[in-house]
Amino acid sequence: MMHIFSAKSKTKKEKITDLKDAPVFYIPMLQNIGTPATPIVKVGDTIKRFQLIGEATGHCSANIHSPISGVVIDICPHPLADGTVVETIIVENDYLNTEIMLGAEKDVDLKKMSSEEILSAIKDCGIVGEGGAQFPTHNKYDIKDKEIDTFIINGTECEPFLTADYALMNEFPNLLFTGIKMINKVLKAKEVVITVEAQNKDIMDSFNYLMNKPEYSNYKVMIFPDKYPQGGELQLIKSVTGKELGKGKLPSSIGLIVSNVGTVIAVYKAIVNRKPLVERVVTVSGDFLQGAGNYNIKIGTPVQHIIKELKLDSDIENKGIVLGGPMMGKAVSSMLAPVTKGSSGVLTFKKKEVSRNNCIMCGYCADVCPMHLMPMKFEQLFRRGKYSSLAGFSISECIECAACEYICPSNVSLMESIKEGKSQLKNLK
Amino acid sequence: METVQTKIYSPFVRAKDSTRKVMGGVVISLIPCIVFSYLAFGYIPLLVILVAVGSAVAAEFLFSAFFLNKKDSVKDGSAIVTGVLLALTLAPFTPLYVVAFGGAMAVIFGKLIWGGLGRNPLNPALVGREFMTVFFPAIMTSGAIWFDKSQMNYIAIKPFSWFGESPFIEYLNTLFFKASGAVGEYSVIFIILGGVFLLVRRRISWHIPFALLVTFFVLIQIFSGFDPKYSLGGLLLGTIFMATDMPSSATTNNGKLFYGAMIAVVAIICILNGIRYEYMSYSILLVNAFNRPISDSFLPRVWGQKIDYKKRLIRSGILVVAIIASTYLVILLHNLDAIRYLLFAYILGTIIYFVIRGYDSKKS
Repeated sequence: MMHIFSAKSKTKKEKITDLKDAPVFYIPMLQNIGTPATPIVKVGDTIKRFQLIGEATGHCSANIHSPISGVVIDICPHPLADGTVVETIIVENDYLNTEIMLGAEKDVDLKKMSSEEILSAIKDCGIVGEGGAQFPTHNKYDIKDKEIDTFIINGTECEPFLTADYALMNEFPNLLFTGIKMINKVLKAKEVVITVEAQNKDIMDSFNYLMNKPEYSNYKVMIFPDKYPQGGELQLIKSVTGKELGKGKLPSSIGLIVSNVGTVIAVYKAIVNRKPLVERVVTVSGDFLQGAGNYNIKIGTPVQHIIKELKLDSDIENKGIVLGGPMMGKAVSSMLAPVTKGSSGVLTFKKKEVSRNNCIMCGYCADVCPMHLMPMKFEQLFRRGKYSSLAGFSISECIECAACEYICPSNVSLMESIKEGKSQLKNLK
Repeated sequence: METVQTKIYSPFVRAKDSTRKVMGGVVISLIPCIVFSYLAFGYIPLLVILVAVGSAVAAEFLFSAFFLNKKDSVKDGSAIVTGVLLALTLAPFTPLYVVAFGGAMAVIFGKLIWGGLGRNPLNPALVGREFMTVFFPAIMTSGAIWFDKSQMNYIAIKPFSWFGESPFIEYLNTLFFKASGAVGEYSVIFIILGGVFLLVRRRISWHIPFALLVTFFVLIQIFSGFDPKYSLGGLLLGTIFMATDMPSSATTNNGKLFYGAMIAVVAIICILNGIRYEYMSYSILLVNAFNRPISDSFLPRVWGQKIDYKKRLIRSGILVVAIIASTYLVILLHNLDAIRYLLFAYILGTIIYFVIRGYDSKKS
């Protein structure tokens, strides 16, 4: 792991505010790892806020609900931020916000709720991991007969600029703790660990009075150094438990579950408020101060609307827009690409040409690689077209955290080599 | 507002570092050596350094402009580093036209012919030095280029004498300054400080110097009956600045330990077989040639996986045998006065490589 700059102070203390709704929403049917949801509305239908519009299909999938009321104007292929085209329901907002409820809001008696009820509420509400991977949460928590020792709440938001998780922990510690308790009714973990980075340890001011309550006696906060990628699931597991879990293995296989802060709060809202996942907290930041903050943004809001609403559009030709963090996020290829359940940030950067040099074999990339790989080899072999040799250097173990290219003094195109190299290797098989 | 761009890959932020800064760091670490060369023999070694750098930079510019179609390749500063490093291994009174030849050959046959910055398997400065030895044997082996009493600037500088007089203090004074040997070897203490600077700035790691020096001194102890002759300044200059050259040295930490240790083994074998002056350049160049198989045999342990130690042991055993066998071959050629044929083969080989690869540096 490596030291990385922070840039979080720009937005860390900004209160979460609602972004004004967009006139048109683009709601992709694929917002999870696994199979896309199937649209269950037709063009011309009038739909309500919270209405189920895409139904989970297959084993690993998630429901999708409408964040607004309005009319379905099209169902067609539409690009996500990275240019991938997926089936998308386009809804024209009628600004009436007529709601449909999944059930009456009620005082939840946790004691009376069964694991199955909690899991089905999570499934109904279409919750997926908000940390970026978008793994369907009900699949993750459906541990069958496995025993869970530790439930880890990932508050180590290690990418620069991003403060969405911090803002949630800071403003809604109660929802977070109650949410954890609800989830742990299913997981039955002996121990709950909330992780934060050293730069955010002031969060303890918000946590302390909760931590003293007897009902949270098995909760623990662990503070880790400001290293990247500390929040990567495998790296976090190692820091918390000392166990090195190989990539591709499920944490539950060694008695662990890791969830992002935003996901836990979404679970709370699903169970207590009976609200599906239709909005999330997004950090808007980057090279410019204009509009920087933490916003509650509805899923399906096009990037274009955020840019316009927050007045980021001056000199837009010379700005690059990124959905997600600056390390693992996607360059926005279409201004109509929507915010999804996994989008943690909208960042604007000054466009600048990256001057690329030859690799000088300094080995910095191998030094910082959290998976202990040799990134320089990937570039060397990819450049020479030796795709089959990539497997010998374990390219499939790469988590694409981009630490290698961040640290590279020659700005070698390591991430392109890795991402394209992986797909070339797949084509060979 | 709808615009579709070509695919852009993360990350969107980068550490504030560059190849130019890497090269700049090396030059800064060598400035004390340059100053001490002036203290020893005045402006003459400075001219050697200046000519070596000038010729290296000119060769870089002309060759890349003509053959690689790159007009800005001097900007990375690597030619300056090659020039300075070459000059520091030379005798202070080496004729300047020979120095100019060495500087140009170092950059062209040491680096550019392989495709430019970072693609060289051998240390360019030492390649340049071998060219000089082979093409100007009479000059390079004459004693006259090493010393000229009339040109001496300071005969001795004795900062430690302030603490008193004793053989040990006298020894410390010679470590601080001793006007004998190659241009860069006059102050052992400042060579070490240059190395410390590079270590602190993380431009080199401790693995290669540590393994090299420990192996060297342990072997010296074992074979001390032979009364081995070596120059501490030359050893340290080679260890800190040559053996750690990024492209031509091993890239993984365990590989670096093996690589450093093998340089020491080769150097000791050379010394024991009577090679008086060239043991450092021979040993570094020879192990350079094995650098890629070394790195590939010592890959780091992938997260969540185990190292196959049996395979690693076999591979490193084969490498040890191959390196030692090559060492005896080099010694044989050296004793037969036939090293030049090795260089001719290298020239021919690299030219063929360059032509086959085409002028496109991207492919190499």
